[in-house]
Amino acid sequence: MSVLIDSLLAILIVYLALQCLLAPRLTQTVFLFFAFGLALALAWVRLGAVDVAITEAAIASGFLGVLFLDALRDFSFITSGKQESSDAANHSVSKKKPAFLSLPGVVLVLGLGLFLLITLEAVWKVPESGGLTAATEALLPESGVENPVTAVLLNFRAYDTWLEMGVILLGLLAVMAVGGIKIFPVHRKTPEDPVLQQVILFFTPILFLFGAFLLYFGKNGPGGAFQAAVLWGAIGILLHLGGRPVLTVIPRWLSQLLLIMGIGFFLMLGFLLLAGGASLFEYPPSYAGVLILIIETLAAISIAVTLVSVFVHLNQLNKEESN
Amino acid sequence: MTITELFTVILLVAGCFFFLAGTLGVLRFPDLFTRLHALTKADNLGLGFIAAGMALHIASPWAAIKIFSIWLFTLLASSTSCYLIARFQKEKNPPKNRKEEG
Repeated sequence: MSVLIDSLLAILIVYLALQCLLAPRLTQTVFLFFAFGLALALAWVRLGAVDVAITEAAIASGFLGVLFLDALRDFSFITSGKQESSDAANHSVSKKKPAFLSLPGVVLVLGLGLFLLITLEAVWKVPESGGLTAATEALLPESGVENPVTAVLLNFRAYDTWLEMGVILLGLLAVMAVGGIKIFPVHRKTPEDPVLQQVILFFTPILFLFGAFLLYFGKNGPGGAFQAAVLWGAIGILLHLGGRPVLTVIPRWLSQLLLIMGIGFFLMLGFLLLAGGASLFEYPPSYAGVLILIIETLAAISIAVTLVSVFVHLNQLNKEESN
Repeated sequence: MTITELFTVILLVAGCFFFLAGTLGVLRFPDLFTRLHALTKADNLGLGFIAAGMALHIASPWAAIKIFSIWLFTLLASSTSCYLIARFQKEKNPPKNRKEEG
């Protein structure tokens, strides 16, 4: 029975991915991508990787979905503004089509074939002795947490997580580099819909509580900084969309401090540990639990603020372009 | 098959029926407002049935409360988004009144 469900899920994911790529309209692509992300999250649950499933559902379907919808609204503005020139555009596209089919098409087919071969080889040669699971399980008591995923992410391979936070910050910097850093005007142009306001106010404490739960629960179960950060970021995005732009209210130095807090604390801790004679991110086992909790909390706040600022910057960009 | 399992199956089948009806409505109804109606009403009811079935199946009060709150949050979120989409559409191009009623 479970084999049946798994194979249906696998077929569904491949089907959704194909449909997502082949959909004729951008709107369809975006919504199929939502469905694809949720199906993928379900697959991760079936594989027993609940941490990945939550992250997939939260980031790929949730946060990316919001960004995609925002971009979609932008595109619809652009196309509605350039309706009259669409005929000319259509002609040029239809002329270009044979060229598109010939060279990039061949490259695409070659690349796909190569990718399939590599995947087949990887599946064929899958290691039999369960990879590094045994080593992780053996060192788990020293890590200060009970969830092996958190132990790997924040203790054994803390370096990777630290760099990932840097990557997210770099993403924000790229958005700022393209759009420019602005002191946002406190705009109240959004029509204050009473229903939306009430629902946002209802969901804000729940999202905060649930994020905090995921953060704290990451010690001994699925959850952790990234998942909590997306939920906390959702609060900021909801409030922004509801006409209460939080990031514009707090002073700029504070938001900058919040942005770099996680990665900064991580870095300082690493240096202190290095100065103390240990290697980078080698926490003393007796403090490891507390340190990981502090790092995760600061990281979650930083990532949440980063996600909100990415959204706010892009949203602001769109508003200016559409005006 | 115990009586609990029987009820679980009945509830799940009822939930699937409402999901099917909602999907059929989305595919067959003519305009956005009727489609929204099919999507939110029928799907929420279907989700409620499935949630009840799962709560009965798991048979632990904490899990039941969690499942019930999932249903509650989905209800709130989906009805709000339904309202927002309908309002946006109504402002963009108002529906043609089929029959003016006094």
